[in-house]
Amino acid sequence: MIRVFQCEDTLTGILTGVYEAWDSRLGHDNVRLKTGWNENLELFCEYVQVEPDTKKAEKVLRTVRSRMGEEAYEMIGYASAYPDDRKADAIYRMIVLGLHLPDGKEVSRMLTHPDVQLVFELRRKAWHIAHRYMGFVRFRELENGVLFSEIDAEADVLALIAPHFADRLSGEHFMIYDRRRKKAAVHQAEGAWVILEDLQESCFLELSEAEQEKEFVMLWKTFHRAIGIDARTNKNLQASLLPKKFRSFMPEFAEMDNG
Amino acid sequence: MMEYRIEQQMELKEKLRILADAAKYDVACTSSGVDRQNRGRGIGNCIAPGICHSFSADGRCISLLKILFTNECIFDCRYCINRRSNDVPRASFTPQEVCDLTMGFYRRNYIEGLFLSSGIIVSPDVTMELLYQTLYKLRRAYHFQGYIHVKAIPGADEELIARTGYLADRMSVNLELPTAEGLKALAPQKQRPKMLAPIQQVQKMRTQNKEELTLYRHTQKFVPAGQSTQMIIGATGENDWQIMKVAEHMYKKYEMKRVFYSAFLRVNEDSLLPVLPGGPPLLREHRLYQADWLLRFYGFETEELLSEDRPDFNLLLDPKCDWALRHLEQFPVEVTKADYHTLLRVPGIGYRSAGRIVKARRLGALDYENLKKMGVVLKRALYFITCKGKQMYPVKMTEDYILRNLLDGKEKLPGTQAPLYRQLSLFDDPRFSV
Repeated sequence: MIRVFQCEDTLTGILTGVYEAWDSRLGHDNVRLKTGWNENLELFCEYVQVEPDTKKAEKVLRTVRSRMGEEAYEMIGYASAYPDDRKADAIYRMIVLGLHLPDGKEVSRMLTHPDVQLVFELRRKAWHIAHRYMGFVRFRELENGVLFSEIDAEADVLALIAPHFADRLSGEHFMIYDRRRKKAAVHQAEGAWVILEDLQESCFLELSEAEQEKEFVMLWKTFHRAIGIDARTNKNLQASLLPKKFRSFMPEFAEMDNG
Repeated sequence: MMEYRIEQQMELKEKLRILADAAKYDVACTSSGVDRQNRGRGIGNCIAPGICHSFSADGRCISLLKILFTNECIFDCRYCINRRSNDVPRASFTPQEVCDLTMGFYRRNYIEGLFLSSGIIVSPDVTMELLYQTLYKLRRAYHFQGYIHVKAIPGADEELIARTGYLADRMSVNLELPTAEGLKALAPQKQRPKMLAPIQQVQKMRTQNKEELTLYRHTQKFVPAGQSTQMIIGATGENDWQIMKVAEHMYKKYEMKRVFYSAFLRVNEDSLLPVLPGGPPLLREHRLYQADWLLRFYGFETEELLSEDRPDFNLLLDPKCDWALRHLEQFPVEVTKADYHTLLRVPGIGYRSAGRIVKARRLGALDYENLKKMGVVLKRALYFITCKGKQMYPVKMTEDYILRNLLDGKEKLPGTQAPLYRQLSLFDDPRFSV
């Protein structure tokens, strides 16, 4: 009988799952981790739901950091943001492997090991998406001076990009709202950032913008159009570097309203 | 809170349109090379790999607010849209306007920073002074910590260039034409030694600054992201070998961070400018960039890639494949044993995947599936490697066979149309195509 630990699809959820699976003392071959609740059930498996627990997750994270190094820590953090059913189990196996090595730091270099390879691959994909959003996020200034932005990301990148913006715009109030996951990263000027979950979409429908907002959008569109060289026009290249799915919140790709 | 003054709305928009349009022929738009955290001082930071914020319709990255301070110019360079004798609308920003635009765009995450270039207004000194004032205002009054790339104006006072360098992240002087002869023909008012002078000055000051920084950690940094330059390709008769020699010289002698190549665009009607039938030589530009990466990251030398008898790149093949095909005696390479530098020379293996191979093979056995996962392009590499003594497929190590197969691979090339389907013929062999 295999016991399957179903975890919430967040870093905290997965790491709590790792803790519980290890703590169950059933042997690593007899446990499995899965994210999400409504899976097709398998025969000869016992399903256990894991409630995310920050304390347990933090314990695991601390162990990973001290025994397996920064590199492995970052790999796990990023990989957990990418939507892939295999990630929770791969992260578990990688941690098991890392803690059994005499030098745990080697685990991040074991790219020929299938589980490490998967975590590495997911980390690369998540990093790629996060890096793109660092550039493609567009803020609008609201009437009260808050900078507001919406994204619709495949991977759960909020926690990955928030530190970057918190450093860059340290003196601003800002908010990045993830429409797909109904959560937001919120930063207070000269303060820390937090993630708010289970938000109501309707809160963000009618926001009144600052007076100069239209001006800057118009200036940006003007710049964006003037900077392209007509004789080199290459829409395919543009589309492969900046796919359409990113464009919905970017003002330079919205219709020009007044010249 | 910041204050924005945009009273003359239409005017600022029109200025921006003119001065962005005039700046678009400058290629450099990278925001890479500096890591600077904000730590609660003012606004902005920089991250070393740089960030692309948008892409224009020509597929080029937009990362900086790339504008001219003014497109007034006392020079009359034949290739340049802003030359004195051209009848184009002229405009100039004020330092305040540049600051407003930069801050407004930066807060909204439209850009990574500012790229400020300029036509020569009144004199090089006056122009440089204006650029300096703008940067000073941005850095000191607005506490802007984002990326700034600024032009060093050849002929300007050394003191001015030095002061500007302490405010900028990157400085550049465009060589424009690869050789002094080309420059004489198309830009008679510019002189090569005069253009190299600020490059040498910045290089010297950077070296001094690095020494100071090791002694005093809090010394102000001077041009921390280094220098770059740009050459126009195809306006004058230089061949690829000459161009690459110049680039190599710039990297070695002047410690340039980047050399950019820009395919010649005929923006002016001028009897001295060539008419290139196929439009701008984009494919040639692409091959030069590929070769440029081979120089910077792959340990190649120009002499290995080209020679006086073979002065131009093969347009059909990328320079690395081309080199490998002419040196088949060095292949196949055994990936489980070869050192990093040998791996770098294999087509299909990049510097990242080479690094991963070296790391991973110490801790586990490699196979082709692993190589693929590590980012090796097996489609190209398979002719040149063995893994545990075995080739991926049995392939003949002959130049013709490999060339034919590589050309079937359909590399995505700029400036070329998708191939039309055509009738097969007995003589359908790439060796016959010229």
